[in-house]
Amino acid sequence: MNDPPRRITLVEWDQRYAELHAAGLSEPHYGGPLRRHVADGDVRLLKLRMDNSAASLRLWNFLLSEEDRLRRCVADGKKLVGTMKDLGTVPVMAYSFDNLVAFYPDGAWWLPCLLGGGAGLLEIADSLGIDDSFCPVRAMLGAFVGCDRFPIPGLLTCSVGATCDDFSAIAQRLESLGFPILWWEIPHRRPPDPHEEAVELPGGFRAPADQVALVKSELGRVRQALEVYAEQPLSDEQLAEGIARANQVRRLLAELRQLCFTADPCPLPALEMLIAEMLAIHFCSDHNETVRVLAELLEEVRHRVDAHTGVLPVDAVRLFWVNPVADLRVMNLLEDLGGRVCGADNMFCHALDPIPTDLPPLEALARMALADPMVGSAVDRANRICSEIRRFGARGVVISRIPGASHCAMETTIIGDVIRKQMDVPVVEIEVPSVTDAMEPTLRTRLEALIETVRGRM
Amino acid sequence: MNAVGYSSPFVPAEWIAAHGLQPHRLRLHPTEKLTRGICPYAGALMDAALSNIPGGRVPLLGTSSAEVAGDARHCLFQAVAHRSAISAHGAECVLDSAPRSDILGVVLTTACDQMRYVAAMLEQRGSRPVFLLNVPSTWQTPAARQLYLDELRRLGRFLVHLGGKEPSDTELANVMLASDRTREENGRRPTARGAREGIPLAILGGPLMETDRDFFELVERAGGRIVLDATEDGERTLPRPFDPTRVGSDPLKELADAYFDGIPDAFRRPNTKLYDWLGRELAARQIRGIILRRYLWCDLWHAELHRLKQWSPTPVLEIDVGPDDTGAPNRVQGRIEAFLEMLK
Repeated sequence: MNDPPRRITLVEWDQRYAELHAAGLSEPHYGGPLRRHVADGDVRLLKLRMDNSAASLRLWNFLLSEEDRLRRCVADGKKLVGTMKDLGTVPVMAYSFDNLVAFYPDGAWWLPCLLGGGAGLLEIADSLGIDDSFCPVRAMLGAFVGCDRFPIPGLLTCSVGATCDDFSAIAQRLESLGFPILWWEIPHRRPPDPHEEAVELPGGFRAPADQVALVKSELGRVRQALEVYAEQPLSDEQLAEGIARANQVRRLLAELRQLCFTADPCPLPALEMLIAEMLAIHFCSDHNETVRVLAELLEEVRHRVDAHTGVLPVDAVRLFWVNPVADLRVMNLLEDLGGRVCGADNMFCHALDPIPTDLPPLEALARMALADPMVGSAVDRANRICSEIRRFGARGVVISRIPGASHCAMETTIIGDVIRKQMDVPVVEIEVPSVTDAMEPTLRTRLEALIETVRGRM
Repeated sequence: MNAVGYSSPFVPAEWIAAHGLQPHRLRLHPTEKLTRGICPYAGALMDAALSNIPGGRVPLLGTSSAEVAGDARHCLFQAVAHRSAISAHGAECVLDSAPRSDILGVVLTTACDQMRYVAAMLEQRGSRPVFLLNVPSTWQTPAARQLYLDELRRLGRFLVHLGGKEPSDTELANVMLASDRTREENGRRPTARGAREGIPLAILGGPLMETDRDFFELVERAGGRIVLDATEDGERTLPRPFDPTRVGSDPLKELADAYFDGIPDAFRRPNTKLYDWLGRELAARQIRGIILRRYLWCDLWHAELHRLKQWSPTPVLEIDVGPDDTGAPNRVQGRIEAFLEMLK
């Protein structure tokens, strides 16, 4: 029962689950052995190594039961809002209503990985002219048209403007197929001109007050649409409560990140840490349960840190990771090769920063939306990454490109250049498709080279 | 005259000219320095800008004199003339577009995500001054329209910073009216003016490069004629005619509205106006086929292909252009010939 922390395979989890169960494991209603998700099609689990704690079991089950949860929400009379290209803003508004559930259709970009290919989703996207030159998020198109992955939301919102062209194009394709979308503008964040009124954003960026006002007015349009859809008004007080709840999640994640990225030995694998961070985007369709899942995970991590135990050797090489991976297996690979993640920018740092509570709530959300690292200059994003590298003491950087993403080809070069100029750390770029099995030797070689380089400098 | 380079039709040449600077529509040559995922056009712009340091002897980006020297057969080159043929005084056309090294700065826009990153790249590598103009993707709200207008005002401050002179309303109005006259004199349908015999076709897509003149000739040799140039260099991206009354009362607002409302494009959300415009023009010109010419890694136009095929009353041919495919290589030639053979 009291196994030391380690990463285990699905086969090992079968045994582990039986032991936990026999010892009186208490699970939420969506609990159960991880093996059942393979039967549901999530065959990539067979190739992963996962943390062996009960808290991680709950995290995985929470993540992999989202589609069932959405269907149950609909059955219970709740209304779904699909918040596209929106990493953490509109969901905060939606969860301020008592009858709305927000989810993130773009999350379908992991389906080709989890399903070990595409399970027909990519073929549907192909048939609609969205081929593999696009980002794996094209699986979302297949999920909408196929209608069998998640219930179709009654309201779709999509931020557009300073967003990646591939997603914007796919969303436009979706709308042309008969899925109406409320587009809202997020402008490219620029530095304030001299003598121009400026505003401090969460995370440390600055923006002109006019840009914040524009985003606030756009979010006002979204708010109105949500009110019409929910058939109830949303007061500032309700919105402020929604922000407070979102901040609760962010506080849990902040402590989790601090412990996991700095403690020795590493208390939680990079894979589980990535999934935990992703919960901040839309709370995996259940805000309250997100809090419980993260609190349990944090408790487990605190316990491990206090006991000086972890899942990786103490000499694991400390690396900063840039961009989420389309294939979760790569996070395992990094650790298998002797690395550990000490800091990550998965494109949604702004969803981890506390939302200001001393401002009118819509203003606070507008500032948070403009703090998105992806809507400003890539140089801004790179500078923030540099400060996080310093904060967490990373000794090397992996920049992970997303195949077909319009921003990656140039952005990764810029980020790499800035890091090399500011930091005395080696940087490697890799490209991670949805299933990396065929190219694992190449990835392995590049990651090994980075880890050996860092070790050689220690 | 000192010039300011730009590449997007959403940068009003009149606004640059009114500041006493010469608007210089960038004409690019393909580059071989491309990495996977970078659109050849964005890559060409970045390469050209980075390979020419400020004050260096090599011109930043040049256009050949033949481009605007009156070859009226192709809208591709006419449209460029329309935009660059504006003097600061609005009285005469400036047709000087030889390679030059007096480009003070470059204006890019957010209409294309890769261009947004080009701007960051140039910022990071210390190129000439770069101005990134926020062009909203949405267009239905007063806020989006106001953003574009505010951005033009900000562009004005940038132009003054480069050495331009802040124009009075009268000066701007004069430039705008002269510009409109030039466009009228050249015909607002420049493509059709040069048309000869052949199957009437439309070409649709993003910006073209210097080497693409061969493409138009190839179409003609194969038995077609482009009667609608809906690329970014063609008539699709001309602003609507200015309203003289509104020019008189608030010229900058009229300038902003004419560009913001007048240019249908793939990047706008929703982009229904592109199809509305295309539908009207296809019918008016009895077009029998559409060539969608897109760059590899240009998601915006690529994603429209399938929809366009479903929507279009006429056949659609896709020409995807990689780093080595600008102009009219054999691969493109074969596809054009087969397409026209099918239409005969």
